[in-house]
Amino acid sequence: MRSVNRNQVSTWSSRILLQIALIFLAVIVGFPLYWMLVVSITPPAEVFSWPLHFWPPHPSLENYIEVFTRQDLQLPRWFLNSLVVSVGATIATLFLSSLTAYGFARLEFPGRDTLFIILLFAIMVPGQVTLIPVFLLVRKLGWLDSYNALIWPVAANVFGVFLLRQFFMGVPKDLEEAAVIDGAGRFRIYWQIILPLSKAALIALGIFVFLATWNDLFWPLIVLNRLEMRTLTVGLTVLQGTYTQERGLVMAGAVVASAPVLLLYAIFQRRIVQGVMLTGMGGR
Amino acid sequence: MDNEMIMNAGRRDGPTPPRKQVGSWRTWRWTLGNYLFILPFMILFSIFVIGPILYAFYMSLHEWKVLARQHPFVGLENYRQLLKDDIWWIALRNSLYFAFLTSAVNTVFALFVAIGVSRPILGRDFYRFIFYAPVVLSVSAMGIIMSWMMNTQFGVINYFLIWFGLPPVKWLADTYLVVPSLSIATVWWGFGFPMLLYIAGLQGIPEHLYEAARIDGANSWRITWHITLPLMRPTIFFVAITQLIAHFQVFGQPLIMTNGGPGRASFTTIMYLYQTAWRFFRMGYGTTIAVGLAFVILFFTLLQFRLFGRQSVVEY
Repeated sequence: MRSVNRNQVSTWSSRILLQIALIFLAVIVGFPLYWMLVVSITPPAEVFSWPLHFWPPHPSLENYIEVFTRQDLQLPRWFLNSLVVSVGATIATLFLSSLTAYGFARLEFPGRDTLFIILLFAIMVPGQVTLIPVFLLVRKLGWLDSYNALIWPVAANVFGVFLLRQFFMGVPKDLEEAAVIDGAGRFRIYWQIILPLSKAALIALGIFVFLATWNDLFWPLIVLNRLEMRTLTVGLTVLQGTYTQERGLVMAGAVVASAPVLLLYAIFQRRIVQGVMLTGMGGR
Repeated sequence: MDNEMIMNAGRRDGPTPPRKQVGSWRTWRWTLGNYLFILPFMILFSIFVIGPILYAFYMSLHEWKVLARQHPFVGLENYRQLLKDDIWWIALRNSLYFAFLTSAVNTVFALFVAIGVSRPILGRDFYRFIFYAPVVLSVSAMGIIMSWMMNTQFGVINYFLIWFGLPPVKWLADTYLVVPSLSIATVWWGFGFPMLLYIAGLQGIPEHLYEAARIDGANSWRITWHITLPLMRPTIFFVAITQLIAHFQVFGQPLIMTNGGPGRASFTTIMYLYQTAWRFFRMGYGTTIAVGLAFVILFFTLLQFRLFGRQSVVEY
């Protein structure tokens, strides 16, 4: 990445000062993650001991074994639920919003601008307004405790349409014209020209839909009741509320839930950072 | 469809309809094909977004208990009740307090960090990596970590305080400290996001401005103060308002870390919505709370548009 201040103004002393400040901050920001790991490998008997140890004197995997084998915890199943729902929502969102964005960016049809204004209006209305009506609808459809309830409402992602439309409009038209000469139809232009050229935006959108769905709490909390249908985030919340005396166990659950997203982040770090800068998404 | 495309080769506007007289069967069929691109999404959108928005307003005008057979029309009674509802005002105050505190700290703090990691220093990418990492955690994992660290008796933060000879603090157990404590936890969790937005903004500042200032003999503090900050103003406004809107909708942190307590000291509007609709099953009043929330958020959004009308154009 290009540096902003490439000049020699910063003297050595201020540079060293900055370096020290950043190291200090990195330690503070990284410490809670380290601490999560430490507590999770502390044997249950030693969690409530004082003074604290920054590395447990008797590290053990007891909490992990416990968290995976307890009858009322179904961590592997919750993990699978989170995965199915997040992948499903991501694929559905990417396909539907890119298709729609292409329609709004390039195709002509009566009422196009009116429909787009309706989308604009909808994006102004905060999501909480629709929670109760969508919940009642999902219940009426018999979708409570199902993957459908967690995938389709998420796939109606207006923001994705906006983002991709904006991006598609920036794709030069010459390429499409060349394809038209070669006899390509609308769908083929969308599929073979627009989508490959918009890979950066699609990947960014995909990553953020995945993370947002994986980490969402409110919606799964209200549409999921059955133990085996919970997502990891919901399962963890219940774990935290139930096992207040077993911190190590709860912390092991947090590690298991966080490891995949942290791993994903480590692998796609560059993509994610670029994606945030490109789209302005990826936070809360 | 392919031969139609050949006929239109060279036209400016992407794939266009066949050049036949208007209203012919083929033109009509072409237009219909265009609709197919947006149809699947528009169906979902109607069912899960626009329909529910309209239905929410309808519901808020009714006494709507979930198991009741009848949902009698009550007009604006729900709204009247909302304005007189002490819990609503407590929750609103807590949410606003949390939102202002968190977004203020995030807006300023993330900016300084972003300026820091935009300098040509050793390990710059590593710092960015670490600072954004907590953002990818779920609110429940974050809440589990932070509530244990902030535990009064066994928390590691108090351990450090005692180690430095300071008195321990009742972070989440104190009526006055609970919202700032949630705020601290949230800043740790989320400041990496505005940091990246700022880094992107900083990259957009042309190099020649810095060079000019350097030739004029300005030091790095003066450059930051007189060039970077003024040029970053639109980004700063953007971050401040979007952070405000996002953190106003706080739910997971208090639910997991304090359950709204002690008392109602960290009870927020979204928690109230959750409780009303899914603990007491009062869907009509719940929707009224949601609409009330929406108006607060809408106010911030309009503020954002106003500010952007003036601030978004920067000339270099």
